[in-house]
Amino acid sequence: MDVKREQKIERVDPAEWPDGTPAEKAEDPDLGYDIIPAARYTSEDFMKLEWEHVWTKVWLLGGRSCDIPEPGDYICTEIGKESVLIVRQADGSVRAFPNVCLHRGNRLRPEGLGNAEHFQCMYHHWTYDWSGKITRIPDMDTFPQGCPKGAALPPLPCEEWGSFVWFSLNRDVEPLSDFLGMIPQHLDPYHMERMAWVRDVTVEWDCNWKASVDAFSEVYHVQGIHPQLQWYLDDTSAQIDVYDKHSRYLVPFAAISARVAMPSAIPPAIDGIMRAAGMDPAEYEGRVGDIRRDVQRFKREHGPEQGKDYSDLNDDQLTDDYHYTIFPNVSLNVHADDVMMFRQRPHATDPNKMLYDIWVLELMPDGEEWPERPKHRRFAHGDKSIGQVLDQDAFNLPTVQKGMHSDSFPGLWIGDQELRIRHFHKVLDDYIYGPGGKKPGDI
Amino acid sequence: MDLGLQGKKAIVVGGARGIGFEVAQILAREGCDIALTARSEDSVKDAVAELGKYGTRIVGKPVNVKSADEYKAWLEWAIEELDGVDILIPISSAGGGMGSEKYWHNNFEVDVLGPVRAVEVVMPHMEEQGSGSIVLISTTSAGEAMGGPQAYNAMKASLITWGKQLALHHGRNGVRVNVVSPGPIEFEGGNWDMIKGTMEKFYNSQLRQHPAGRLGKPEEVARCIVFLASPAAEWCNGSNLVVDGAYTNRTQF
Repeated sequence: MDVKREQKIERVDPAEWPDGTPAEKAEDPDLGYDIIPAARYTSEDFMKLEWEHVWTKVWLLGGRSCDIPEPGDYICTEIGKESVLIVRQADGSVRAFPNVCLHRGNRLRPEGLGNAEHFQCMYHHWTYDWSGKITRIPDMDTFPQGCPKGAALPPLPCEEWGSFVWFSLNRDVEPLSDFLGMIPQHLDPYHMERMAWVRDVTVEWDCNWKASVDAFSEVYHVQGIHPQLQWYLDDTSAQIDVYDKHSRYLVPFAAISARVAMPSAIPPAIDGIMRAAGMDPAEYEGRVGDIRRDVQRFKREHGPEQGKDYSDLNDDQLTDDYHYTIFPNVSLNVHADDVMMFRQRPHATDPNKMLYDIWVLELMPDGEEWPERPKHRRFAHGDKSIGQVLDQDAFNLPTVQKGMHSDSFPGLWIGDQELRIRHFHKVLDDYIYGPGGKKPGDI
Repeated sequence: MDLGLQGKKAIVVGGARGIGFEVAQILAREGCDIALTARSEDSVKDAVAELGKYGTRIVGKPVNVKSADEYKAWLEWAIEELDGVDILIPISSAGGGMGSEKYWHNNFEVDVLGPVRAVEVVMPHMEEQGSGSIVLISTTSAGEAMGGPQAYNAMKASLITWGKQLALHHGRNGVRVNVVSPGPIEFEGGNWDMIKGTMEKFYNSQLRQHPAGRLGKPEEVARCIVFLASPAAEWCNGSNLVVDGAYTNRTQF
């Protein structure tokens, strides 16, 4: 790597933290060094394969449990050409069913949140209850063929984990916990159920959804597009771990990249980390290289009096970015005090477009009232800023997508720092072609 | 032009990096023995090792300027190690910052009391030998607004006032005191290196303000400091030399 200094970042000894998020480095699999074909990002045929073998087979993130606390509260969310209603039941459970009237196909509700006594189609007033059962068909006697089969919207698998609601379009899907695998063990210690919404935005991006997943699966791009972050995190010391379906990297925050000289003054962004922790940077007598460790110590000591229970987290988790990808499309920057996560959804028909959902959650001090939930906003890329760092991330994606179409670009030339991208595409292949079923000539 | 520095004994406080290190390097090259310090043990060691190549006596130990007793003990140690002192250049700074009263204390203790304590220790030696040269380091931010209302700017400004008064008071005993006020200086690991990386637009706006289209380099300031410190600048006393590549707007009437 092109570094200016040798830097050894202190990391927790996994043996000292047996109960929380495993910190061990996972053994790297040998995934080869083949080109990842560009056609995967541009082909409508491949998009159909993804629909058939991935989107309609896996568990998908639907929303947050805290948005539907009361019976009749619902989340209406879309994936590709489908729209799904997720509804809180009287017994506290959640159910999901397709958001489509069985009469003439109208959507029952627009995308978003709400509460309903029942779901009545706006066209002819066919009416469904919270579980999707038909409760009324006006002029029933004019349908001599009777009710549509089952007299209900066909239920979809729906479960909750980690403060989130999940659904699947696959009625034979495995239990959510089987699909999530190691993820709950890794993320439960963060107690995301104690985190409130602070941002809910959807941006229409002109790229394939996988270009976005790729973008958030490596820190190699920090030196390319986020030069300012080199005085905030050490992109040269990421620990990359790939698992069965999912993956992560661990990046030291409140640290200086080995790509730049160690400053003697506290960089503004690290100053911000210290203030957020409750420290006064002006009082700090240590060296810049010691700040990460001292922020960890400070938060460990002062967390309880700030109403923040970090007891399930190891010291590194008090500063660092534990970044996870839950296959296929959820990328989470997980921190002790906040989560910045992205849900990356394909366009219904165009492989060159996607929906990029930004969800930001913040740990609320114990006993403190949660702020009002921010309203969901949706806009096209470039219409509004999504913040300096994410604007930088978004900047190249439309031109990446254009380049994918070039006859001179066979595909992605992936290095070791991008192992998670290679792993993501391998898992995708296992779904699409069956484990080990990819043949020469398959894209 | 011979600066007349051969065989002189110089103390550089904050001499491990940036302008301070360049000052020490030029002094060493010109034949001075040097005692230098900084907070970090490693950087002091590195600086001492690096400057050894000029063949003069170079000594150094880390010290925190804020710890008055240890700092004074270091100064006494330095004078003893050098067997006297002809030149004092105290350049350590706590740097800028806003939003906490603590910054005032930091700048007072490091940027003001750092030089004050050093001057108090060296002055009797210099007066006794009837010669000595002190260069205080202020900033162009003392004279023109920069970076918001900061303790750094105000505390550094006080050195210009104090420096002139020292010159008036001690000149009769052969001790000269001058001030150098540098503009923005860029070097690896320095503040402007970080600003270039973290606030590119602001950095570029500063470049546009410079007639030369760039920021200064440590050696460009260090040469001026060394000149004022040297016997070649014998008739300079009580001056404040702005070294900023014409960055500031005011005229020095």
